[in-house]
Amino acid sequence: MGFHLDWSGVLAGAPLHWLVTGLVTTLAVTLAASLLATVLAVGLLGLRVADNRLARGAARTIVALFRDTPLLVQILFWYFAAFGLLPGGVRDWINADHPWAVLPANVPLISPEFLAATWGLGVFSAVFIAEEIRAGLQALSPGQREAALSQGFGHWSALYHVLLPQALANAYQPTVGQYLNLMKLSSLATAIGLAEITYQVRQIESFNAHAVEAFAAGTLLYLLLGVVLGRLLLAIGPSGAGGRTSEERQADARPAGEGRHGL
Amino acid sequence: MTQDTLSPPLIEFRSVHKHYGTVPVIRGIDLTIRRGEVVVICGPSGSGKSTLIRLVNGLERLSAGDILIDGQSTAGLDGAALRRLRTRIGFVFQQFNLYGHLTAAANIALAPRKVLGLTDAEAFRAAATLLERVGLGDKGDRYPSQLSGGQQQRVAIARALAMRPEILLFDEPTSALDPEMIGEVLAVMRSLAESKITMVVVTHEMGFARELADRVVFLDEGVVLDDAPPERFFGATGHPRAKRFLSQLLSPLHQVGG
Ligand SMILES: Nc1ncnc2c1ncn2[C@@H]1O[C@H](COP(=O)(O)OP(=O)(O)OP(=O)(O)O)[C@@H](O)[C@H]1O
Ligand SMILES: [Mg+2]
Repeated sequence: MGFHLDWSGVLAGAPLHWLVTGLVTTLAVTLAASLLATVLAVGLLGLRVADNRLARGAARTIVALFRDTPLLVQILFWYFAAFGLLPGGVRDWINADHPWAVLPANVPLISPEFLAATWGLGVFSAVFIAEEIRAGLQALSPGQREAALSQGFGHWSALYHVLLPQALANAYQPTVGQYLNLMKLSSLATAIGLAEITYQVRQIESFNAHAVEAFAAGTLLYLLLGVVLGRLLLAIGPSGAGGRTSEERQADARPAGEGRHGL
Repeated sequence: MTQDTLSPPLIEFRSVHKHYGTVPVIRGIDLTIRRGEVVVICGPSGSGKSTLIRLVNGLERLSAGDILIDGQSTAGLDGAALRRLRTRIGFVFQQFNLYGHLTAAANIALAPRKVLGLTDAEAFRAAATLLERVGLGDKGDRYPSQLSGGQQQRVAIARALAMRPEILLFDEPTSALDPEMIGEVLAVMRSLAESKITMVVVTHEMGFARELADRVVFLDEGVVLDDAPPERFFGATGHPRAKRFLSQLLSPLHQVGG
């Protein structure tokens, strides 16, 4: 049987509109969850590196809980179980219409689906982001901290002025990877009926059976988002360890003497 | 030297003990260092030299005993009091430990700005002066990775000096350096020793000890075996264990510069 693609079933009419809605939804949930993940990651990292055994233990438990269980299960939990535990008034408010909180292409920001997906993705990603930065901290020579302490810096000011700037620069690329992961993992929210790209692709497929074209279009959208997002984040970040420009690092090649510790 | 009769004690070790777990590393040390003295500490690897000076600024905690700084007990010190003490004591590390994300000038200016509260302008002006003093006036905008080992160590000394410390502690400041860079660091240390700042220097540079130390302290297995002015330490009446250590240092397989 001859195989030919018919894009009119995907790139016109209702299907096109659905794809646009899906794209806006994916973008919105990615952005919202990224912001949430950033805030939560700061808090979690704070616990993780605290000068207090109890705080560190609590952080380790949180990390294990969210890192070592499937994200799909977590999203289903937030949507089906946790949402039901909210006070009735809050649930009613979330379920109500909020015309001021609707994005173009008719994407509502306050709905159980959007909020559960944002929360689930945000918590899950926060754990991974915090762990990337902690790995960046651990990769630093212990001498960095000792030098700061010996100059009169405290635990937190040493972290803030000396350790974190270097850890963030070291961990920047893997951390960007976690934000891109978040974008891709938002496809799991199709399971709770969030009308993002994957959800729309399946809707097109069941509407006119243009499965290959629909999935091709969906895949392309994810790919495009990933490339654009990745380029953007890497462009605004430091170009390498130490947070310096490439010209500066080229000059590094000069003295090759020993006794220089890697950072 | 006349130091002993003129100047008051600045660092007093009082039956200092330190153990890691059950392993004793410092086993009862009494030692007094007077203001303005230059004291060299030497001894075999693992004898506790680093531990001893790290106890002075609280990088390691005492297991027993006390260290008085300027007459003040430091045994239970923590929090703000410990941080304040550390601003008075400069520490120079074997591995330099310059802040990797900052230029030489910013390395020197960081703690004065963020710990002492100097303005950026004041701190960077002082940093420029200090860089001149260690012979690196033109290297202020270099990152540590762009400097040779000897240059990094001189920046590290300038960074310690920027806090205007009363005491400078050195932990084998030249051991990680290529031989041709040792001289430039020792030259800076010599000018400091002559400036009458109190220095405690862990080093195997016996030339430095002979020429600039007021006293040489020989440590072995966590106790002080000898504590003498260099002429006596290196002379005929020195401790036999120290003599053996020195002859090993001076053997052809263990060349020492200076
Ligand atoms: N954090 C630590 N935990 C356990 N043991 C330690 C620790 N730091 C040092 N030690 C041990 O304590 C002993 C003394 O160490 P220290 O570093 O003070 O010796 P040192 O005289 O400076 O030796 P070197 O000349 O090799 O630098 C060594 O046996 C070392 O293995
Ligand atoms: Mg040592």
